[in-house]
Amino acid sequence: MLTVGQKFPSFSAKACVGSDDKSLTTVSNDKPTGRWTVYFFYPKDFTFICPTELVEFNRRLKDFNDRDCDVVGGSTDNEYSHLAWCKSHADLKDLKYPLIGAQKLAFDLGIVDPAENVCLRSTFLVDPLGVIQWSASYPLSVGRSVDEVLRVLDAVQSDELCPCNWKKGEATIKAA
Amino acid sequence: MPTLDELKNLLTDDTKDLRLNLGNVLDSGDLEPQERYAIALCSAIFLGEKELASALIAQAGETLSAEAISDAKGAAAIMGMNTVFYRFRHMIGKESYGQRPAGLRMSRMARPAVSKKLFEMCSMACAVLAGCEMCIRAHEASLLHEEVTEDRVHQVVRIAAVVQGFVVAVNAAAV
Repeated sequence: MLTVGQKFPSFSAKACVGSDDKSLTTVSNDKPTGRWTVYFFYPKDFTFICPTELVEFNRRLKDFNDRDCDVVGGSTDNEYSHLAWCKSHADLKDLKYPLIGAQKLAFDLGIVDPAENVCLRSTFLVDPLGVIQWSASYPLSVGRSVDEVLRVLDAVQSDELCPCNWKKGEATIKAA
Repeated sequence: MPTLDELKNLLTDDTKDLRLNLGNVLDSGDLEPQERYAIALCSAIFLGEKELASALIAQAGETLSAEAISDAKGAAAIMGMNTVFYRFRHMIGKESYGQRPAGLRMSRMARPAVSKKLFEMCSMACAVLAGCEMCIRAHEASLLHEEVTEDRVHQVVRIAAVVQGFVVAVNAAAV
């Protein structure tokens, strides 16, 4: 599994955003956006723990956007499965972030459960330069805390950038 | 909201030095006009003077870009926080506090809208207004690093000083 300091793999994946047929799109990371991205992966569409996580990420989307961070969800299911799930589940109708078909990406990230052949509950925080700043995987049966993801995001973004943080022996503050 | 001229006209003979000083620091010197107004604006915002800040924006007109106004606001807010937080660290002088992470977001500092130089000039104004020796030393060093001359650093400080004096004079007129 890729971890802190490694480059997030480049990818281009089909995705849906919410439950509208017209929302089918392609998500890729080939162009720098100057923003952070949190990628979270879950085992399967149409299961029980997953929707609570997806709904919670949606409810807290503004908290991520306030921190200049986009949210991308994904599993090894394809975009049509994602779309069908979003259409069939009342709580998932209004998802505002993309769900990607992450078959290849999941293998590149090393987060495929060898027994079940589905994604672990893995989360990656990727900085604007495309470098992983945090990664974590939970067993299939354990749900994630979105608060924890936000806490980590705050921490990795909270550099002491002010020259006020001047210490003896530092001639100048390096440019950020 | 009063215009800058209306605020200036509130000043009596007792305080008219500040009226004249404000005109001088805004209209002359070899800082760029946008820099002069942004530093004054940042100082007024830092001091919590909404009327003066709005009057400065109106008076500046096209001299102040939207980005410069944004930097002035951003710098004032961050420095409102940092001059309290780091002044504590500086004054207490214990290594043990210095080793704890601040845990404070200040990402706007890394993304100035106009330039690092302008953002640092605004921050310098706030540092002198807050009166923190180490903040002042640090931001002065940072400005020199941005190749701002000592003469220009001096002019930044004059603007901040005059804005504070002007605020006192406006309040004095109301007494």
